[in-house]
Amino acid sequence: MKTPQATGNSAAAKKSSWQKLLEQWDLQALLLPGFLLTLLFTYVPMYGVIMGFQQYKLGDFPGFSEWVGFKHFIDMFSLPDFGLSIRNTLVIAVLRMLISFWIPIIFAVLMNELKSQGLKKTVQTVSYLPHFISWTVTAALLFDMLGTNGTVNELIVNLHIASEPIAFFQHGEYFWAIVILSDIWKELGWNAIIYISAITSVSQDMYEAADIDGATRLQKMWYITVQSIKPTIVLLFIFQVGGLLNSSFDQIMMLTNQMTNPLLREYADVIDTYIYRYGMSMGRFSFAAASGLFKSVINFALLLISNGIAGKLGETALF
Amino acid sequence: MAKNPNQIRAKRVVSDYVIDIVTVVVIVLVFVLTLYPFLNSLAISLNDADNTTLGGITIYPRIFTTKNYEQIFSNPTIWKAYGVTIARTVIGTVGGLLVTGALAFALSRPGLVFKKFYTMIFLIPMYFGGGLMPSYFLNVKLGLYGNFLVYIIPSLVNLWNMILMRSYFSSLPEALEESARIDGANYFTIFWKIYWPISTPIIATIALYFGVQHWNDWFTASLYMTTAPDLRPMQNVLMTVINESRAAEMIASTSGGASVAGDALKGQKTNTRSITMATMIVTILPIIVIYPFLQRYFIKGIMIGSVKG
Repeated sequence: MKTPQATGNSAAAKKSSWQKLLEQWDLQALLLPGFLLTLLFTYVPMYGVIMGFQQYKLGDFPGFSEWVGFKHFIDMFSLPDFGLSIRNTLVIAVLRMLISFWIPIIFAVLMNELKSQGLKKTVQTVSYLPHFISWTVTAALLFDMLGTNGTVNELIVNLHIASEPIAFFQHGEYFWAIVILSDIWKELGWNAIIYISAITSVSQDMYEAADIDGATRLQKMWYITVQSIKPTIVLLFIFQVGGLLNSSFDQIMMLTNQMTNPLLREYADVIDTYIYRYGMSMGRFSFAAASGLFKSVINFALLLISNGIAGKLGETALF
Repeated sequence: MAKNPNQIRAKRVVSDYVIDIVTVVVIVLVFVLTLYPFLNSLAISLNDADNTTLGGITIYPRIFTTKNYEQIFSNPTIWKAYGVTIARTVIGTVGGLLVTGALAFALSRPGLVFKKFYTMIFLIPMYFGGGLMPSYFLNVKLGLYGNFLVYIIPSLVNLWNMILMRSYFSSLPEALEESARIDGANYFTIFWKIYWPISTPIIATIALYFGVQHWNDWFTASLYMTTAPDLRPMQNVLMTVINESRAAEMIASTSGGASVAGDALKGQKTNTRSITMATMIVTILPIIVIYPFLQRYFIKGIMIGSVKG
């Protein structure tokens, strides 16, 4: 087994791919489990999307049911709650782009202004913590903090902002704000890591040169710190656009008690929860699969476009 | 970063002081807002349930008690769920590291035959997926419904983690492989004896990612364990507790708070509050204990991903 490899590269170069394949059977064997699992758990479901064009009944093998063509897609667009779920998905995504996206950047820039290294480290360590906590736990915290006898309501009543505690989770109009704020709370520190590291690599000479030119700190923050992380910001923003339809399923499911809170549905139902409700709760499997396919296709297009733009800007895309 | 005082300093202007103040205020705010909810719930979980009804608990218990914890640990469901969570986290993390790691290693070798083909195969699922329904029925057909293995097998390969590991293996000197090949070592040995031991930073990072993913997952159980409550992990138990206490609060608030029904529910309501907080603390404790130790690695890990990914 070992001799052919030892004979050197000139002999190996002439061999066909199949011969080389046999020679490096051990390397191929390392790859094989991952390869087979990927085929099974990602490619088989991809083929399974054809159930969106069929009428799946329990017990059918996916893909071998009666064909119904575009029936489910037509149904989807005629149902009012589909439009609502698109609206909610887009509104939450746009709010994320306008608000949540920028907070970690501001945080990272301000962290750079902090002189005490010890304080900096402590704050950073604490700020990652919520990223590792599940949305189940975050929801438990939120329900408690925002509950009628929770800390937030105690504050509201004691400061006379409102005379009565506010039942935040019984009024849909608070929902978007809760989604955005809890998202910021959970991911601020984590999302800032990449900016903080980018700022660390900015040359100190630039700041010193600016000092000589008599630049103020605000000018240095804007013209050096912010400008040098601009490529990172642009790249991450493009990816954010690419993931437009990927609303945080876990978050919304938890904050709505797995969509069982009817008071929130008008504001909370996003495409992912819509698919879940129709597929899992109502048993309309093919219809849910069709909605899922609709989402996957648009998502795919968005990702390709955003990745293409990122590539054009000279940054390496995914692979 | 820290600069010495003998450098040339620009004259401080008003805006400089404003920035100092804003910086400190924002950073202290982030610190407090991040920690307060955890400390508050810890205090509630350690406070006497009836006393909690009076309100005003901040970050320390007023009447210390471990009764809330005793109560939840007297429930066998918690023990079972904890066992399931630990088992799936350990098995899932080790299995995921090995399968994803071996895959990443093979894909990082320049001499891999059919490399282009494989790269395409692993790239496509990162952009396009079949969605919830086909995956659900596939897993059901594979006999994974109500089966512990549903936690493990479908998540052995994580392509995002694979990319991070592949980048790391690629960044190691190729001479390591070449010299081992000349010595007659096969790729199993090269992977396990040479590359694996020197890849601690990425292994720690990916172990943390896999571990957290398994520890925090509730969705798998909510899809596949509807008829097997004994195989539900902690997250789903916590979810049940939350939903019950939410229901109690809904009833209390719609009955007008001051009414007889509201008063009758008051004691029970805060009891569920204490229980919810204690369950939550129990759920997050291992993560809070473990993550500071892995912290120094994952900063490195995320940078590898962002630079090369």
